[in-house]
Amino acid sequence: MALRNPPRNTIAKDSINVWKMTAAIFMIFFWLCLIGVTVAWITFEFPYGYLMVAWGIGILSTYVFVFLIPKLRFKRWRYEVFEQEIYIQHGIVMRTRTLIPMIRVQHVDTKQGPILRKFNLASVTISTAATTHEIPALMEEDASQLRDRISTLAKVDEEDV
Amino acid sequence: MSEQKRLHPAVILFDIWKVLKEFLFFIIPGFVILSGKVLVYYLLILLGCFIIIIIFITISWYRYTYRIEKDELRIEQGIFVRNKRYISKHRIQSIDLTQSVLHRVLNVVKIEIQTAGGGKGAEALLQAVPKQEGERLRNDLKHFSEPSIKSFEHERPSRPSEKISNKRLWIAGSTSGGFGAVLAVLAVVFSKLEQIIPVEIVNNIVEWIMRTSIVLMSGFILILLFILWVLGVMGTVIKYGNFTITKDDDELLITRGLLEKKQLTIPLRRIQAIGMKENLVRQPLGYVSVFAKVAGGSLESGEDFSTVLFPIMKRSEVERFLQIFVPTHAEVEERPLLKLPKRARKYYLFRSMLPALAIMAGLLYAIPDYFGLSIVLVVCSIFFGSLQHQDGGFCLHGERLTIRYRTFSKVTMRIHRKRIQAFEMKQHKLQRLDNLATIKVSIIGMLGSGNHYTIKELDDEEARSIAEWYSFQTE
Repeated sequence: MALRNPPRNTIAKDSINVWKMTAAIFMIFFWLCLIGVTVAWITFEFPYGYLMVAWGIGILSTYVFVFLIPKLRFKRWRYEVFEQEIYIQHGIVMRTRTLIPMIRVQHVDTKQGPILRKFNLASVTISTAATTHEIPALMEEDASQLRDRISTLAKVDEEDV
Repeated sequence: MSEQKRLHPAVILFDIWKVLKEFLFFIIPGFVILSGKVLVYYLLILLGCFIIIIIFITISWYRYTYRIEKDELRIEQGIFVRNKRYISKHRIQSIDLTQSVLHRVLNVVKIEIQTAGGGKGAEALLQAVPKQEGERLRNDLKHFSEPSIKSFEHERPSRPSEKISNKRLWIAGSTSGGFGAVLAVLAVVFSKLEQIIPVEIVNNIVEWIMRTSIVLMSGFILILLFILWVLGVMGTVIKYGNFTITKDDDELLITRGLLEKKQLTIPLRRIQAIGMKENLVRQPLGYVSVFAKVAGGSLESGEDFSTVLFPIMKRSEVERFLQIFVPTHAEVEERPLLKLPKRARKYYLFRSMLPALAIMAGLLYAIPDYFGLSIVLVVCSIFFGSLQHQDGGFCLHGERLTIRYRTFSKVTMRIHRKRIQAFEMKQHKLQRLDNLATIKVSIIGMLGSGNHYTIKELDDEEARSIAEWYSFQTE
């Protein structure tokens, strides 16, 4: 039954680390700025109230973006490839479930950035004539298998569109 | 027709004019700044450049040839680098002939040829060819299954055709929501005026306006609105004057425009969805406009992000019209839409009130005198929110999904299952507790991007029933 149950397959567990790392890189920039501001603040002896707020926000957002969100995201991310269609679920606050019929798939790509490569992961991008969908972090061999599988399934049964 | 042909020599003039227009900006300051001998040199250099440009344009006109050979349109061009572009007849999606006023004087047409590739693929633009030649070219390049039949076009039974009446055109103009666009243009003009007119004069005028009574002010506003309305009517009349739609086997032919005649061809099989739009003024009068979403359409027709099939007609005439022109999307009998559940109402109200409340808070903080104005705004937002809730809905029938939604105008879309590229169902925490879900269907849009249609806060069981209808997996 369509969309009643979540898809079966989870993505690679290391996706958590990938997202952690990506978030951490952004947070490092944030912290560098914050430290710079703090030093300036102390040298010019401004009142400390605002500084405390800024540090509070920094610590909270670091926790949320680096530690909390990647885990939740992994938990929610599911996919399943049937013969006739692809079924994807993602989204922490807004849970999104997507159906992509095989005959609408135009092409499938695998992609690998530096962080994904470090963990031997790759992402799979599925494109239709109107949308693109990404399954973000799969084991390298799973990703290429999935890509090949989808592209063979997609080839069957061409209709005029 | 295999001999090489050149464009109408008027192209040389067009191109020179185009170059001049672009450089005028750089040339004029020279006249103002320079003087004496320097000015003479400047003029000489300009003259030299100008002559070189003319020579180049003439050569490139000379080198630009086209011909039809082996079912291909072959265009060759380029002065230093020869560029050959062969476009197969079978890849051509649309051939549009347009005429500007200048074109009409010279009795030439501009031909735009679009292929499936969309934005970057092989496309051709023939700037100006003699009118008869243009029409012949179009007939030659049209690919139909039986080209022999095609050439006896005149002997075939009359093709269904419909032309907009003057009365309808007038109604369309006076009820068009074009106000907004005109208003924006005027706002830009005024903001520019402010830069040109000295500040003191502006201040004096403002002071004078402040002193005159409210009655006079509202009188002015009324006159301004009236002018805007007249401009809106004129805009529509110019755009949709002589609007004619003709059905020709498997394509629709649309011509429109009072001053500049535009022609558009829509192959029926590229229609992704049919829509009906009712704005706030037309809806109570029972008028709708009918449009089509066409895959890979030309930029020219993308001005409304869709192609208008007929600018205005009575709601009761729509089915008959579709029956004739797009029978695949006609509805034989009226089917009621499944409405949104009552519990969805609060989400709609919340969404539409949020910006109004924000403005209210801002006004209360900054200029408390205008607080009354924000109350009007909030009332309007409540009105719109409940309308949006009331109008949302869908209907499944056979292979067709009909959805209706409102942002400002009420839009009804009819989409076939095989045109839907992907289906999405979204729920956030609160929606899940309320058993509501948002759905999104995607179809092919202009230039390779998608069109997405969303209905928010459907009953989640009903949302799932759409998913099941759409799902290709049988298990």
